[in-house]
Amino acid sequence: MFKDRFDRLLLILLAVAMSALAVLLGAHAPNGDNSRAPAGLNKALEQETAYQARVALLQKLYTPVETIQKSGDLQGALFRLDDLARTYPGEAHSYILKGEILHQLGAKEEAVASYVQGIKLSGDYIDRKSPLSRRAEIQRLTDEGVKEIGSRAKANPGNASLAIAMKNVNYLQSRLAGGCE
Amino acid sequence: MLTALALLPLLLSGCDDKGKRPVMRIGYMNCNNEQETTKRFTPLTRYLSEKLDVEFVMVPVDTHDFEKRFREGEFAFTHTNSLLYIILRENYRLELIASDKRGNFGSRTGGAIIARKGNGINKLSDIKGKRMVFGPMLAPTGYLAEYDLMLRSGIDPEKDLAYYAIPSGSYKHEKLVYGVLFGQYDVGAAPLLDLEVMTREGKITPDDFIILAQTPIIPYCTFGAAEKTDPKLVARFRKALLELKPSDTVEIDGERVKVLNAAWADGYEQLLDSDYNPIRDMARRVNMPPYQNY
Repeated sequence: MFKDRFDRLLLILLAVAMSALAVLLGAHAPNGDNSRAPAGLNKALEQETAYQARVALLQKLYTPVETIQKSGDLQGALFRLDDLARTYPGEAHSYILKGEILHQLGAKEEAVASYVQGIKLSGDYIDRKSPLSRRAEIQRLTDEGVKEIGSRAKANPGNASLAIAMKNVNYLQSRLAGGCE
Repeated sequence: MLTALALLPLLLSGCDDKGKRPVMRIGYMNCNNEQETTKRFTPLTRYLSEKLDVEFVMVPVDTHDFEKRFREGEFAFTHTNSLLYIILRENYRLELIASDKRGNFGSRTGGAIIARKGNGINKLSDIKGKRMVFGPMLAPTGYLAEYDLMLRSGIDPEKDLAYYAIPSGSYKHEKLVYGVLFGQYDVGAAPLLDLEVMTREGKITPDDFIILAQTPIIPYCTFGAAEKTDPKLVARFRKALLELKPSDTVEIDGERVKVLNAAWADGYEQLLDSDYNPIRDMARRVNMPPYQNY
């Protein structure tokens, strides 16, 4: 294998170069051999912190609306929610809360449509483990929708608006069953 | 001369084609006044003309004249509030086409009995002996629904109030909201949609009022077709309305105008006639047309 002295010399030089490279790489890594794990951990921590901050902000912003809602002044809660939705347009929490209030006020088709908009923006609301989860309430409305909107749509097959309402109910059903966007 | 003679038949046939486009009238119930109705519905009428190849004529109509003019056969299509729809449906078999969608409740809305916050009226029973203001008598969510709600709650507006009034002139709903806000009246019968719009426009805030009671939600403004109107045209009319998107425009006086925006609508919805039954029940209880007994 090693035919002569030159071969052996080359081999020794290669070994020296490899060792030097290993030492250099080790010296410049942030925390030695375990550098990869903390970087990943930091990212997860950052995400978790951002999520907790979002949850805390939503609670702070929407607690006054929910307090009014719980007092029974549903329309008052809806007016204040409209105000918030103008300040934070496209916020999923507004759509979810609006769906809840509309459901309580008997506007089921509009409530379903509002839930659909909210869930399309954030799946947290149907995630059992999320602190934002409204899964039980969404499930309840979906069950009612299947029964009530479903029977109306079945009895009026040519009605385009009922077909859209039923499509929304089906979307909620699919997301609750674990389907993706 | 010869060229002119040769072209004459061609020119005349062009005139004939335009003349052959059928002309139909759509009666639009005035919400506030004729000028507003014209501005609101001219773009929508033009959109429908373009879509259906019919020369639709937009006719603003006073609420109280509507039934008489419809009976005389003036309109092939109508756009009215939901109570007037029921009156025309019951008396002349008007066909339901589609309903306006606007605000939080889509094609439905409700009414509320409101008081100014801090004036000592905190629940519905407190309104006995107070001064109340209603919207116009044929307004489903500015009069009928609240009147019915009061009767169902054991309050007879004819006997249990100090008095009640209806504002004069146009913009009655806004006038009544301001009337309560500035203390001319103690309580008012306000359409939720007007409260929603006035809040959005910054004219009032949710903290100005207390909602003492809220009515069930019922259908909003409605397009209908006269019984004699061709069913195929009615179907195309409905389709054109349901397909309208917020980005659809027409040209009015050289400007592109967004049709839905001009018509104050978020879109149109195909409701069922049975969706109007809660209004029928209200009209029966309140003894209002078309079920009025003398």
